[in-house]
Amino acid sequence: MPSAEEKRQRTGLVLPTGFAGLWLLLFCLWLIFNSSLALPILATGVVAATALAWIFTTRSTVWHYVRLTPRTLYHFLAYTGVFFVELVKANVNMLRYVYSPRIDIRPGIVKIRMRLRSPIGRLALANSIALTPGSLVMDVEDDALYVHWLDVRTTDIDEASEMIAGPFEKHLGRVFG
Amino acid sequence: MDILLALVVAVLLVVGGLFALLAAIGIVRLPDVYTRMHAASKAGTVGSSLMLVAAGLHSGEFATFARAFAGVVFFILTAPVAAHLVAKAAHQAGYRLSRGAVCDDMRDKAKN
Repeated sequence: MPSAEEKRQRTGLVLPTGFAGLWLLLFCLWLIFNSSLALPILATGVVAATALAWIFTTRSTVWHYVRLTPRTLYHFLAYTGVFFVELVKANVNMLRYVYSPRIDIRPGIVKIRMRLRSPIGRLALANSIALTPGSLVMDVEDDALYVHWLDVRTTDIDEASEMIAGPFEKHLGRVFG
Repeated sequence: MDILLALVVAVLLVVGGLFALLAAIGIVRLPDVYTRMHAASKAGTVGSSLMLVAAGLHSGEFATFARAFAGVVFFILTAPVAAHLVAKAAHQAGYRLSRGAVCDDMRDKAKN
């Protein structure tokens, strides 16, 4: 991050990239868990959130890719919507497989490609894939994901990528890059 | 209003219980460890999430509901990671896919 480095030289001190977002997230979680606005609790929350956010943003680059703008917020909400629809579909499918008299599945491990670059975006994509219709991430290798598919419909890498990762990548790409 | 809330809570509890049962039956009926992880990760997550939301609604306090909802979020964040690790460990240990399996790109990769 050359710009942050320049700022550091000019002003002496600058917050690490992604610090504000992570701090806000941690502090909100703290408020939810305590559900109280008493001064000691607020003060403890501020100190704990600052310490954790400082450690995680200076020691790892994972949080640097999260950008907080209205546009990313909109795409994150859209992604959440897509995710819940897929989650319901996944469970109805599961219901059909498991309660049917004869289990009719064609399992297999297929390789798919992903376009996401940032580690946290890939984490979100892998987690989403695991919770959606009949797919479970087995391994990551460069740009490829190995996915265990409960009902293999195609072994072609491009078609499979579109079917498994397609619904999420559009929104996740805008949020995490 | 009270009876409506009670009805919603009851429906959430029963549906959540049904999904937990689905996960359990799935683990018994499906053929190998990978397909079983599908049942455990998906149906298990949804079952426990629905019951947590029901508990939060029943309390009638926003604070309790917020905590229950945070529990749901953490479930969604962590359950897939656990399922992924179990499946990956099984594959590395050489556990085969069930006989009906169509393809295994990961084994082909290991061979090359």
